[in-house]
Amino acid sequence: MYEAYALGALDPPERAALEAHLATGCAECAKSVAEARWLVSQLAYLAPEASTSDMLKGRLMQTVRSETKSESSPVPTGATTTPAGISYWLSAGVAALLLLTLYFAWDAHRVKEELRASNEQNQRNEQMVASAQNESAVTQQKLAAMEEQMAKMHRETAILTDPASVKIMLAAQKIQAPQMVAMWHAKYGIVLTGQKVPMPSGNRVLQLWLIPKAPGGKAMPSMTVRPDANGNLVILVSNPPASGSDTKALAITEEPAGGSAAPTTTPKWVGAMS
Amino acid sequence: MFLAAFSPKDDREASPDAALVRQLLQNDVGAFEKLYDKYCRIVYSLVLRIVQQSGPAEEVVQDVFLQLWRNSAQYDPARGPFVPWLLTLARNRALDTLRLKSERQRRLENQADELFSVVVAPQYEKELDEKRRAERVRSLVGELNPQQKRAIELAYFQGLSHSEIAAELKEPLGTVKSWIRNGLIRLKEGLHTAS
Repeated sequence: MYEAYALGALDPPERAALEAHLATGCAECAKSVAEARWLVSQLAYLAPEASTSDMLKGRLMQTVRSETKSESSPVPTGATTTPAGISYWLSAGVAALLLLTLYFAWDAHRVKEELRASNEQNQRNEQMVASAQNESAVTQQKLAAMEEQMAKMHRETAILTDPASVKIMLAAQKIQAPQMVAMWHAKYGIVLTGQKVPMPSGNRVLQLWLIPKAPGGKAMPSMTVRPDANGNLVILVSNPPASGSDTKALAITEEPAGGSAAPTTTPKWVGAMS
Repeated sequence: MFLAAFSPKDDREASPDAALVRQLLQNDVGAFEKLYDKYCRIVYSLVLRIVQQSGPAEEVVQDVFLQLWRNSAQYDPARGPFVPWLLTLARNRALDTLRLKSERQRRLENQADELFSVVVAPQYEKELDEKRRAERVRSLVGELNPQQKRAIELAYFQGLSHSEIAAELKEPLGTVKSWIRNGLIRLKEGLHTAS
C-alpha cells in the first residue's frame, strides 16, 4: 500500500485512510512511505532517453542571469521616497492613467473582437472536449492537447486584455511588411501577433529575441514560428524574465528550421521597450 | 514534523548535489548550470514520456528548473536525496500539464503538498551514475510480465488510479492492485539484490 500511495494510485477512500493513519504520527509507516517515494522515483528511468534543445538551456540561463542582475541592482539614483517625490510621481501616475484610459477606449473594439473570437473558439474546443471524453486512451492524448490549447488561449487573452501588460510595437526593418505588436505581462508572459507577414523562404522560421540592456549582453533566444497561409502569426512566450526591466528591445530574425542559439541574420522587425 | 525524524546519512547530506543546491541560495549561476547539465536529460526524458509533445515538455522542464532556481531553499538535504526530489517535482508538473482541470489534477494538486516531504533511500542504495541506474531499473522492470509492467506505467506516467487502470485494462480491480504491488516489490527486491 505504501508504494501505491507514493505512486498516487490509491483511490480516494484508501488514500484518506492511510493519510489519517500517518497523521497519528506512526513513525514506522512514515518511514515506509518515505522509502516508497524513493522507489517510485526510480521509475523515471523507464522513460526513453531524449535530449532537450540547446535553445532551452540558452533561454533558461539568460533568465537566471537576468534575475541575478535584477536582485543585485542598486536603487536608481533618481528614485525618491520623500513626500515631495510622492506628490510628483502621483501626478505623473494620474497623467499616465488618463493616457491609458484614452488608449483603451480606442482599443476596446479590437479587444472585444478578439475576446469574441476567443470565446467562440473556446466553446468549439469545449464541445470537442466533451465528445472526446468518451473515447479511448489514444483520444485522451488528443484531449490533453486540446485542453492545453485552451489554457494557452486563456493565457493569451489575459495578456492581451490585462491593463498591466506593456505594449511593444515592432517595426519592419528594410522590408515591406506591417509592424507586429507584442504585449508583455510580468506574470503571464508575452504574446506577439503579426498580420500579412511575408512567409520565410524554404523551411526557415521567424525567431523572437530579447535584447538585454546590459552593454555587450547576448540576445536571448525565444520562440520560433512560421506564419499561416494568410500571413498571420501568434507567439506565446510563457516564461520570459519576470521583469522586462533588463530588456531593451524585442527583435525578430529569420533563422533555419528549429531556431538558433544566437541570431544568424539581421533583424527584420525591432521594437524598443517603452 | 515527525517525518523529519528520518534523516539520511551524513555522507548523503554532504553529497555534491546537496552542495550545489546550497550554492543556489547565494545565486550561484555556475552551480545552477552544473545541476542543469547533470540532470536535464533525465528530467526531460521523464516529462516528454508523460506529456508526449516536445514543446510543452520543454516548458515543463523550464518551469521545474526555474522553480529550483527561485525556490532552492525548499529543498532540504537533511530530508532526503536531491534527484528523487527533482524527479518527483518534474513528474507532478508534467502530470499537471497532462491533466488540466480534471479530477486527477485535483488529486495531484493535493499531492503537491507532498513535494517537499521526506524521501529516504534504503540502506542498500549506492550512488550510481545515471546510465547504470537507468540500465538497472529497465532490466528489472523488463522482467515483469507485460500486464504488470503496463499497469505500473499507466500509474506512473499517466497518473491513473487503481480503478482507472482496471477500467483501462478491463481487468478486475483486485488483480490490478496485486500487479502493481507485486511489481513494485519485485523492483525493490531486485534493486536490493543488485546493489
